[in-house]
Amino acid sequence: MIRPANTPASPSCAPAEAALDVALWKGASPEASRPARRIKVIGPPKFSLGMISLGLRTLVQYSDLVYTLSVFRLYVRYKQSLLGWAWAVLQPLALMGIYTIIFSHVTTVKTGGSPYPIFVFSALLPWIFFSSSIGNAVHGLVTYPSLLTKMYFPREIIPLSYLAAGAADFCIASIILVGLMLHYRVPITWNLLWGIPILIILGGFAAAVALLFSALHVRFRDVGLAMPFFLQIWMFAVPVVYSVQSVPVRFRKLYLLDPVAGLIENFRRVVVFGEAPDIAALALALAMTIVGLAIAYGYFKSTEAVMADLI
Amino acid sequence: MFDLRLNGVCKKYKVGAHGNSPKRWYRSLVSEAPPVMWALQNVSFDVREGETLGIVGHNGAGKTTILKLLSGITTPTRGEIQIRGRLAALVEVGSGFHPELTGRENIYLHGAMLGMRRSEIARKMDSIVEFSGVDRYIDVPVKRYSSGMYVRLGFAIVAHLDPDILLLDEVLAVGDVAFQAKCLERITELRKSCRTIIFVSHDLAAVYRVCSRAILLERGHVLLDGPPREVIDEYQRMTFGTQDSSGKKFDPEKEAECLNVSFSSSDMGGIRTGYPMVAHLSYRAAEIIPDAIFRISLYWPSGYLCAQFTNESSGSALTLQPGEGSIDFHCPILPVVPGFYRVDLSIETNGRELDLKQRCATLCVETGKAAPGDFYIENAWSIRSNLPSIPISIAR
Repeated sequence: MIRPANTPASPSCAPAEAALDVALWKGASPEASRPARRIKVIGPPKFSLGMISLGLRTLVQYSDLVYTLSVFRLYVRYKQSLLGWAWAVLQPLALMGIYTIIFSHVTTVKTGGSPYPIFVFSALLPWIFFSSSIGNAVHGLVTYPSLLTKMYFPREIIPLSYLAAGAADFCIASIILVGLMLHYRVPITWNLLWGIPILIILGGFAAAVALLFSALHVRFRDVGLAMPFFLQIWMFAVPVVYSVQSVPVRFRKLYLLDPVAGLIENFRRVVVFGEAPDIAALALALAMTIVGLAIAYGYFKSTEAVMADLI
Repeated sequence: MFDLRLNGVCKKYKVGAHGNSPKRWYRSLVSEAPPVMWALQNVSFDVREGETLGIVGHNGAGKTTILKLLSGITTPTRGEIQIRGRLAALVEVGSGFHPELTGRENIYLHGAMLGMRRSEIARKMDSIVEFSGVDRYIDVPVKRYSSGMYVRLGFAIVAHLDPDILLLDEVLAVGDVAFQAKCLERITELRKSCRTIIFVSHDLAAVYRVCSRAILLERGHVLLDGPPREVIDEYQRMTFGTQDSSGKKFDPEKEAECLNVSFSSSDMGGIRTGYPMVAHLSYRAAEIIPDAIFRISLYWPSGYLCAQFTNESSGSALTLQPGEGSIDFHCPILPVVPGFYRVDLSIETNGRELDLKQRCATLCVETGKAAPGDFYIENAWSIRSNLPSIPISIAR
């Protein structure tokens, strides 16, 4: 082996003395101010209620990461794009245009008297929030495998940050909804405020679906492959392009068992028609969301332990 | 009081392709369970507060698995781990970076992933940027960074975590000399402030210098747990094998053979830089060997030849008689710096190599006289003030 002249032989052979007289690093907090240490126990994965509550407490500790990751998620998405944030508006607008041409010019759909553009847009908006959050969240865990295999933080933060980014897009695009409401002179009523709990329940249900499917996707990549197709079908199973009135009455009970269908129908009802929502449907959706979240979170946390090995 | 406790920890991995292909399902139905690999088997040890534990072992011995378990990335198959306090792991520097975000944004993101609050990061931002040394490029997306800048930024964040327990995996394998020195400085500081450090490295000299205790892992078992020097010696013995130098079995085909080498100092202390040392090489010759040349070569951990003891340039020819014998090399002042050196032995005659024992022993040199460079140079000095002073001008 040829060794070039004057090559420092091994940097690690520098003397220990040199390292010893380094000024104490600035930011180090004094020993006295250190908080009391807690003992954390890591054992084999097992499913228990205590695990879920521990998971939630850890999630709260990492709430800053949820915020940071969600903000950067949006930021990165629009970073090297020409139109930037306009994309949050363009997608629902374009869909609105297409569906308006098809369903009010090519063929007609019963809208209960409201103009088709606002009729479809008021449902497209929550649907796009729901479907794009889930569609993105499902792939979130496997997109950066190194995050899972090299670092630890509560994994649910990754799908949840996609959800938060979807919610931000929703807020931007709802400017168009307000514009449409003004343009079509939709009466503004107090019932509009029902939109907030409806969206919160929808967000909760989206979180449940996102957690469940993203955890499944780590194990079975089929989930991600089936997702676009599955969401496409789901869209036609909820009253986005048509009204719930078009559904035969005898199937309507079954139809509204899907919480997304009930929520979107109610959102349109309070926004476009200014009517009070169907409380029974909302209560059902809320109950299903709570149960769904508990199951999905439990499944996610029990899979989390082996995600790094599976990915 | 312990900071870390591993109690009978086992970790099992399934060997073979991941995934859930129908073929695999079918196989699991008709045959026994898929082949498994135990990355760790019944590993138990405690780490006390303020201890710096080095973990050494071959690739695949389970070092990284231990760090992954400790940092919570994966969970043990059996056994239990107890961790007291805030733990930060530097398993791979910069692995949590998002390429599109700038350095500053990545500090926020990476810091949050490591469990820091936004306010804490904001407070330490200037210090992190300064430590990283990439302040000119801090608002440039990290995808434009060189790999060295990546690593510097990653370590700067972790260095500011202020954890109770710090896990370091091969951090010294990346980065330039200045960065490695900085890492070691930081580790030394943390040691002084009584933090617990787990240090995984193949750089044995660094383990020896930094750690107060070491563990030798082999195929998922803790083979040895003790002072770094003993553990490293054992590891090197394991790696390079000393069965040849035990002198018990020799090759009758060879005309001459090196049997053993040992190093000793004239005083009772260890072998130290700047002090005398004797290298004692025993050999066996099957016949008369004229013009025999012995060589004892010392290698740096990096594999470069550091120094050699030989009778080649002594001027007088050495003729070996059949039978066993030994040759001593006296070194009045050992110039090599503290660390571990691997040793090669050889005998040759008239340019023909009779025997070569590669990496057959380890020389451990301890701190003696201060040698701030690559070598210790014995020097004498005197001042002569009666000379006329000559103005020195340096061309610029």
